[in-house]
Amino acid sequence: MLEPNFKQYKPYFQLLDQLFEIERKLKNIEESNSISRNLNKMKVIFETNLFSSSISSEIGFTYHNPIGESYNETRLDLEASISGNSTENLFIKEVIKPIIRYKSGGSTLIARKGVVVVESKN
Amino acid sequence: MENTINIGIDLGTTNSAIAKFVKGDVIVFNNPLDYGRSTLPSVVYYKKDRIVVGNKAKEYLERDPNNVVGLFKRKMGTSESFQIKSINESKTPVDLSAQVLKELKTFVNTGDTLESIVITIPASFDSIQSNATKEAGKQAGFKQVVLLQEPIAASLAYANMKKSKELTDGNWLVYDLGGGTFDVALVRIKDGEMKVVDHEGDNFLGGSDFDRLIVEKLIIPKICEQYTFEDLENQMKSATGKYNAKYYSLLNQAEEAKIRLSAVSSAEIIVERMKDEEGNEVDMEITITKSEFNDLIKDSIDGTIDMIKTILTRNSLTSNDVQFNLMVGGSTFIPFVRQRVEEVLQIPANCEIDPTTAVAIGAAYYAATKPKEISKDKSDKKQYSISIKASYNKASKETDELFAARIKGNIEGLFYKIVRQDGGFDSALKKLSERINEDLPLVENTYNFFTLTVYDGQNNVIETGIEPIGINSGFGISGQPLPEDICLEVDDYDNPGQTRLALIFERNSVLPTKRTLTFPINKPILKGNESDRLWINVYEGPQTSLPEANKLIGVIEITGKQVSRDIAKGSDLEIAIMISESRDVTVSGYLNMSDQEFKNVFNPKVRDTNITLLKGQVTDLSSKLDEEIELATEKEDYETAGALSKVKKEMEAVADEAESLTDDDVTDKRYQLEDKKRKIAQKIDSATKNKRLQKAIDYYYETKAECEELIEDSGNDHERKTFNDIVSQESAFMATKNPLKIQEKSDEFHSIMGQIRWRTPDFLKGMFGRLLNDQSKMNDQSQAKSLTDAGNFAIESQNWDRLREINFGLLDLLPRGSKEDITTKIGFGL
Repeated sequence: MLEPNFKQYKPYFQLLDQLFEIERKLKNIEESNSISRNLNKMKVIFETNLFSSSISSEIGFTYHNPIGESYNETRLDLEASISGNSTENLFIKEVIKPIIRYKSGGSTLIARKGVVVVESKN
Repeated sequence: MENTINIGIDLGTTNSAIAKFVKGDVIVFNNPLDYGRSTLPSVVYYKKDRIVVGNKAKEYLERDPNNVVGLFKRKMGTSESFQIKSINESKTPVDLSAQVLKELKTFVNTGDTLESIVITIPASFDSIQSNATKEAGKQAGFKQVVLLQEPIAASLAYANMKKSKELTDGNWLVYDLGGGTFDVALVRIKDGEMKVVDHEGDNFLGGSDFDRLIVEKLIIPKICEQYTFEDLENQMKSATGKYNAKYYSLLNQAEEAKIRLSAVSSAEIIVERMKDEEGNEVDMEITITKSEFNDLIKDSIDGTIDMIKTILTRNSLTSNDVQFNLMVGGSTFIPFVRQRVEEVLQIPANCEIDPTTAVAIGAAYYAATKPKEISKDKSDKKQYSISIKASYNKASKETDELFAARIKGNIEGLFYKIVRQDGGFDSALKKLSERINEDLPLVENTYNFFTLTVYDGQNNVIETGIEPIGINSGFGISGQPLPEDICLEVDDYDNPGQTRLALIFERNSVLPTKRTLTFPINKPILKGNESDRLWINVYEGPQTSLPEANKLIGVIEITGKQVSRDIAKGSDLEIAIMISESRDVTVSGYLNMSDQEFKNVFNPKVRDTNITLLKGQVTDLSSKLDEEIELATEKEDYETAGALSKVKKEMEAVADEAESLTDDDVTDKRYQLEDKKRKIAQKIDSATKNKRLQKAIDYYYETKAECEELIEDSGNDHERKTFNDIVSQESAFMATKNPLKIQEKSDEFHSIMGQIRWRTPDFLKGMFGRLLNDQSKMNDQSQAKSLTDAGNFAIESQNWDRLREINFGLLDLLPRGSKEDITTKIGFGL
């Protein structure tokens, strides 16, 4: 398996974090313009165009918002802070940074862990 | 086998690391489960069925203190033990340290058998504490454990980095400020012997304290200034508090701001997604300046300085007696720490080594000087013969999938671990039993691979021969593969007048699938003008074929009559193509400029043939056929010419029929014609395929030789590597016999050559000369004049960087048409 070193892509990850923020804010805005189209376009550029050498190869980065998903110590795709008293039945309460995955054809790798705050459902 | 130990471990209070000496250099192993980091938090979490070590354990440290233990190094050598609730057992600091050491073993990916090791200990450790560390090493399976003091390790890392310069006799300090602890040691070297003379420390001071200070002393007061809160600090810090989750989110931002402040003078923290007591949405950006942050940590740093002063006084030394203060530990990245310590003590701060890995690196250097003292006793090696029979669904639409296995053989004292290969899941170490069950979380729409590894009690890998566990998520069950390539027809910019196919979905891609592509259009579409058209033609069939030879499965025509405003040349057309599981093709074109979307769904059973398009294709095909016949005759390739001439007759008949077809013809004739046309195109295609392939191959070797020569003369390492990478794939892409793929590689050579040429003076001068000839055609004459003057001057002064910029500037002034002639049949291209 390829040994990933994604350090050089940090500025791109920062851009993706911004897209994630915009997407999150957009959910609260009713707008007739197609802002989400531009946003999706930018996501597609990251996913398929930016790092691909030709039209037929797809290499790139995508982000995933894990809000509401369940959490436990086996999840290595996240760095979590646990709030509240209990550590049972944890779910993701707040997403500070989304998970960034590297995609090459059909396979993926965690390029940057998501940063979240989790809390017990109990 | 290596005769020296070579591997060293920094067994830290908060973080640990492992490094190896290899041929004069030291490599620090990366944490395999935490990309980009080479350290492992020294924290152990016991759950009923598993043991988690490192980052994940650290997350639970504060919230589940009955089951998670950290900072146990402070208790090394004491009789204290930690009662673990989940397993109802007590664990000693030695047990816990052994767990960390065992976890570090899994970092080593060089295939070494780890039997001898150097482990570092604080300068303050007495012989009982040192023996306890040795015991932990033995428990982790090391047969030979050599101890080394941390300040000496850091000093060795420094001494080895300064290869040319031997350390001279004298004193220096090692200032170690980490995430949670602080240590300072006075090191003396005399006649080549290095030793720790004195030390001080604070077990409760480090970087995480600074993060907390930022939140409590800067952020919370600033929030309270603008919004109404009662006792916000307590509401944040208490586990039952209303804003407890927010506290962790702010701590996280504070840590990031702290890191940023090492480089810039201010950092922003955004506070949002919370409401104050009066229901107002909190939305503020708090700026933290470097000086605010420095003020905040000043007292803590001054405290460390006092400790150093104590050491100096105790040893009757002045600052002048100390050569330098070696900075170690992540928090010494903070410029204020370095400055303040240097300023007050007047001892130069030495920041030349990587503060986070210096101790492990020094330990490895030391290990390289220590011989192994183990007699290799082969009979000692335990023989495990276990077999694993695994069972799981190979495809799943669930978010996780149950993996079950039956184990046969002697499983006594064995453990296992399952990790997902993308680095997103780790089951942690679990006891091996006759039957194991594990829920494996899946990443949607991708192939998930997991590996199951079995370990003995000391984390040595036991060979089992089990294959990787592969589970296809999302599209696995009903998804069928595409029988043919799906392509989009585009104008061929390399062959004016022609079109070519761009591959969208490769044959055997699994359905459903979707792609979005954007092209700038190469001609304007004027509102109301019916003859201005864009074509989105989606074809099924080999990418290498002529477009006309493939089956048209979806088409959208956009004319000037449909657009709501004039669409300029160069504006974007966004094309989305989606194929469902039942192979319905949805094609949409979106014009950015008019914010209009044109969409159509094409059913595989219902054919859709556009008469205008068909007529156009028939005409094109006729002239293409004529050209090919002429070419083949010229080259005296009578076989091809003969084959093509036969096709010519059929072609004429089809052309006549197409001509007589009206646009509103309702009969099946258009479909028959479409079929005939396709068959003719296929014949032309197969008759000329070899020609195109040969052309692409010849061109490839020609470009390759040219590129190689240029690299030899003026290429750099990066360009050489890119070139070699392409050449190394040569046999693979030649074997595809795909002219387009081969052409792609020639293009890549061209782009390397472009890069090199645009640096070489001769090329730049030549280009400038050619541009001078075209000066009269340029758009802005006065700018062209000033650029050419500047260019002449750049040549005189041999400023090639400047000449390159000028050439770019002049190129931009050329009217578009004269740059190249392009085809605009489809409306966009490659």
